[in-house]
Amino acid sequence: MPLSISNSRSAPFFYAKVLAGICLVLIVAFEVSSTILLKHHSETFARVSRQYADAVRVRPAKAGEPISVLMVGNSLLLDGIDVDRFQKLTSSQLRIYPIFLEATGYYDWLYGLQRLFREGARPQVVVVGVGVNSFLANSVRQDYVPLMFFDARDTLSAASDLDMDRTAASNLLLAHSSVFWNTRSVIRSQILYHVIPHSKDLFLLLKRQPPIPPAPEFQAIADSRLRRLRELCEAHGARLVILVPPTPSSDDEVHQMTLAAQNAGVDALVPIPPAALSTRYYQPDELHLNSEGAKLFTSALATFLPHTLNRDSAATPN
Amino acid sequence: MLFDSPAYFLFLIPVVLLYWRLNHRAQNIFLLLASYFFYGWWDWRFLALMIGSTTVDFLVAQKIAPGRSDPDRKKWFIFSLILNFTILGIFKYFDFFAGSFVGALAKLGVHDLPLPLIRIILPPGISFYTFQEVAYIVDVYKGRIEPSKSFFEYGLFISLFPHLIAGPIQRPSHLLPQVQKPRTLDADRFFDGAMLIFSGLIRKCVIADNCAVLANAVFGGQFGPSNFWLVLLGTYAFTWQVYGDFSGYSDIARGSAQLLGFHFMVNFRQPFLANRLQDFWRRWHISLSTWLRDYLYFPLGGSAHGQWKTARNLFITMVLAGLWHGANWTFIIFGAIHGVVLAVERYFFPAKSRSVGPAIPENSVSFFSLWAQRILTFNVLGLSLAFFRATSLTSAVQLLAGLSNFTWHSEYASAFFMLCLFSIPLFLADLLLESSNHEYPFAASSYALRTSLAAAALIILAYFSGSNLNAFVYFQF
Repeated sequence: MPLSISNSRSAPFFYAKVLAGICLVLIVAFEVSSTILLKHHSETFARVSRQYADAVRVRPAKAGEPISVLMVGNSLLLDGIDVDRFQKLTSSQLRIYPIFLEATGYYDWLYGLQRLFREGARPQVVVVGVGVNSFLANSVRQDYVPLMFFDARDTLSAASDLDMDRTAASNLLLAHSSVFWNTRSVIRSQILYHVIPHSKDLFLLLKRQPPIPPAPEFQAIADSRLRRLRELCEAHGARLVILVPPTPSSDDEVHQMTLAAQNAGVDALVPIPPAALSTRYYQPDELHLNSEGAKLFTSALATFLPHTLNRDSAATPN
Repeated sequence: MLFDSPAYFLFLIPVVLLYWRLNHRAQNIFLLLASYFFYGWWDWRFLALMIGSTTVDFLVAQKIAPGRSDPDRKKWFIFSLILNFTILGIFKYFDFFAGSFVGALAKLGVHDLPLPLIRIILPPGISFYTFQEVAYIVDVYKGRIEPSKSFFEYGLFISLFPHLIAGPIQRPSHLLPQVQKPRTLDADRFFDGAMLIFSGLIRKCVIADNCAVLANAVFGGQFGPSNFWLVLLGTYAFTWQVYGDFSGYSDIARGSAQLLGFHFMVNFRQPFLANRLQDFWRRWHISLSTWLRDYLYFPLGGSAHGQWKTARNLFITMVLAGLWHGANWTFIIFGAIHGVVLAVERYFFPAKSRSVGPAIPENSVSFFSLWAQRILTFNVLGLSLAFFRATSLTSAVQLLAGLSNFTWHSEYASAFFMLCLFSIPLFLADLLLESSNHEYPFAASSYALRTSLAAAALIILAYFSGSNLNAFVYFQF
């Protein structure tokens, strides 16, 4: 027989119910306010949404038109490429569709590209440029990406690829479904930026580059990832190019990456070898190019990308 | 299912609502199944291990109670202890000891020894439920409690989900009767349970997870080579992290249990207000420290046989306490440091009472002396936690070697500011709790005020929670 709840009308129960009600109202309020903040105040969301919408409409070029190139990457490309200048320099040969989102890596773009293709994007060339560390990282960005790049199926597949436990997988799924859950860490960072003095320098230090695995493991991981990306692109009529942006002291990694790409039958483009740039071309974080470095990198990319695409055009689909 | 994940609350709320609609026997069976589901959420394979060891201990207990005529009761008792510690040893320590053995032989010039490593994942909560099973077997054997007659009741005592993964380690004499007797829904305790959950979430998600960002950066080398300020920043940040993390876990566990009509022992009592390390261990992870006292330190002889044997017993107990935390030399050193300091303290300040509370009455020392002792104790703890947090002895020593270098960098100021931002509120809450002797801040205030504070806590949780990638520190134990 069920227990009788003799004191269910007492003050604690009343307030427990009030608290439950307040929690529900607050959760709805968090969701609504986060949606408003994201759609009306997030520069990142606005930029990436616009770029994504443009990318979905990309189609193969007709005869005589410039080649359509979908270029995806993280902050290394966002800071390293002057997109307007790059488009101007290559306008006769290439039509560039960039999507750059900070702190993204291999898995973000594997599933991001899958969804783009599913939604109808048909570029002739896909350029992926995330840096070696991020290409080998076992992670997905928990904010923005599950909301903007993944659907529910992709989210579960990414969780499975990353060997996430059920709790982590359910958190990722929630980050796909709830704007509040997706963006709360972004909002927290913004609050801390304003509360903590000189927080920019501190937060740069706290960001950690994913470690590079040792050589044999490096080759195995890079090979399987490159092949998977290549197969995805080829299945949708696109040619894959891996763009390796410069970061300080990364010559060895860049060499290993180009080797892996060669083995996987993928073009690897290194417009500027890392050793060619001194620290004066980098921002104080010693990772991202500054405006001077970006100028050099953009020019080099504008020279070498068309060259790479023309070099083996017979192998180029479409 | 982590306590700070939405999945846990999607599990907890329907369980609580359905649970109170059932009669006592059905409640126990339902909770047992819910607890097994909760455990299996991590990995169903480990469920078989836990059910297996629960079944064996349930059966063994029937044979070893003092009133039983079984002539082999002592053998069954020893069999159970060996079985429990063997399971724990294989899953948690085999690779560590085998690896250390191979490493030692290699230093002696013996190489390529074909010693197989298991490389198995540590089953969640194995250290906690093993200690609970051992306490049950010992208590039954000593005649302190009657063996449970129902497997469902014993199984629920071991696997009740709020304490299953990281405690508090429940004593059979405290929890088993609560499982066996019908539970009533007490409105005050139900409300307090909800408040404890909010308190725990703030401790874990806001305090611990934000301090973890700093601790991880220092121990990960992101601030550069070690120096005095980084040792301070790293150890303080980790000290507050591990406290917020584990006390937060314990609050959520206790709060969840109270929603189901159970009462769990208090696991933390403002540990950073301790004025000695002895006092610290009476306030920190109380369920483990009292377990070690009752089932290890006292059987070793406790303090009954002179100073040297007391020191020896303290040292052994604390080294094993360190080892309990993890299979690594860093944990052994952490335990050894505590063993030595406790023995020294015991020599200079003999304990007057075994009861929980300060080692020496606080009113017998001046305000400044008391705070000087508290600060000293906190710093000794912080330095020992450098070994607890470091991934190897080498990295711990490398960090501490920086103590003589006082180079200051401007970004340290922001880091210390961030540490203060997240640790001072917990410190103030502890001062409040110390003076009020309540289980959570404002526990004696009106329901309306506490409801408002809980709503405010939810807003703070929403916008100040750290990364959701930090699992509870004690889950790895």
